[in-house]
Amino acid sequence: MKYLSEYRDGKIARRLAAEIRRTASRRWVLMEVCGGQTHTIVKQGIDELLDGAVEMIHGPGCPVCVTPLEQIDRALHLASQPNVIFTSFGDMLRVPGSHADLFQVRARGGDVRIVYSPLDALALAQRHPDRDVVFFAVGFETTAPANAMAVWRAHQLGVTNFSVLVSHVTVPPAMTAILESSDNRVQGFLAAGHVCTVMGWTEYEPIAARYHVPIVVTGFEPVDILEGMLMAVKQLEEGRGEVENQYVRSVQRDGNRPAQELVAKVFALVDRQWRGIGTIPASGLGLREEFAAHDAERKFGAAEITATEPAECRAGDVLRGKMKPHECPAFGTSCKPEHPLGAPMVSSEGACAAYYNYGRFRGAVTSG
Amino acid sequence: MCLGIPGRIVEIRDDSGLRMGTIDFGGVRRDVCLAYLGDDVEIGDYAIVHVGFAISKVDEEEAQRTFEMLKEMGELEDLEWTGEANSGAGPRGTDAA
Repeated sequence: MKYLSEYRDGKIARRLAAEIRRTASRRWVLMEVCGGQTHTIVKQGIDELLDGAVEMIHGPGCPVCVTPLEQIDRALHLASQPNVIFTSFGDMLRVPGSHADLFQVRARGGDVRIVYSPLDALALAQRHPDRDVVFFAVGFETTAPANAMAVWRAHQLGVTNFSVLVSHVTVPPAMTAILESSDNRVQGFLAAGHVCTVMGWTEYEPIAARYHVPIVVTGFEPVDILEGMLMAVKQLEEGRGEVENQYVRSVQRDGNRPAQELVAKVFALVDRQWRGIGTIPASGLGLREEFAAHDAERKFGAAEITATEPAECRAGDVLRGKMKPHECPAFGTSCKPEHPLGAPMVSSEGACAAYYNYGRFRGAVTSG
Repeated sequence: MCLGIPGRIVEIRDDSGLRMGTIDFGGVRRDVCLAYLGDDVEIGDYAIVHVGFAISKVDEEEAQRTFEMLKEMGELEDLEWTGEANSGAGPRGTDAA
């Protein structure tokens, strides 16, 4: 593994880390709500550079990790249907359902294929008019425009054998749920750069104002993350709670309007269950009625499948920042990347997998 | 999951009313939907691409710096992967199944 200081930007990173340490008059608690940032923070040991000036809580920022168990079970059911080609982004295949994962369904003969883009799944449906192609539409606001376009095109072109199993989630309601929690410790947020590239940051302004909490739109590189942290720490020291944008090279206040417009045409806000957290009102996207023909849950009656999450997996406590991954009794024993109990141990962006892969076991951790 | 990779637009075309293009990511070329960039897009522009969709334009210097950083950090698996949707016949062929 390569440490941050070995990178080209290592000098800038060290300078930023020193400035954070100098600026912080106390230990501040920040949360990143982006799996990409979690991955980078743990992989590069960014929090460890800060010598305790900032505690990072790794929030529910990985869509793979928060996709509820019953939605995985529905995916497994659909993927097992004889006439179905089930398509998905690669990182969903190892997420454990109640009894199996998509890789196991594939090994038993299910036609499960990884696609890079939802448009690849649509093209597959066009090439196979005799088969039903189902795409597992997961993700945050960054991915919603892509999935919306696939449904919109299917509708426009009359591709009736294409449908989607939707499990979209949106970031602001999750932040609000965390801030509303009676034992919340989060004092400031790093908001996800590419979510805001699509959505802009106007939705975060009322949250920052209402809870008087700094929210800094932040990029993905180590230097971005350190700069985002510094901006949040400065706000906290000055008693400000505002939205600021660190990731100016990609994000504008209003975001990407054409993308937002298509998402709004295809999807409507729905209550959504988050794995390990529970249902958060109006925190997800579901297909609008006019696209019901492309809704895999309706088409295959999958909505009847329900599931109960295993008690042994404490993913919810990790995702809400109540517990660090290595504090979970199952961490590294009954739960490892090879046989995960929950999704945060599966995805490379999950906090548990990041801790496991980069050697953060109990006793080996100096901070964060 | 929200990883965006910057690349250079080398071709723009219309696919039954949908603006598509080819983007070059450090020598690897991919089909990308350009619909969300609006009309203000030209060959030679740089864009951040997420799951086959360009979501914002970036300047050349930023794009190249970010790309090198992602490469250095080993975060470019998405590009190495050719896709199983076309299993059995290579990236752009027709699948046998």
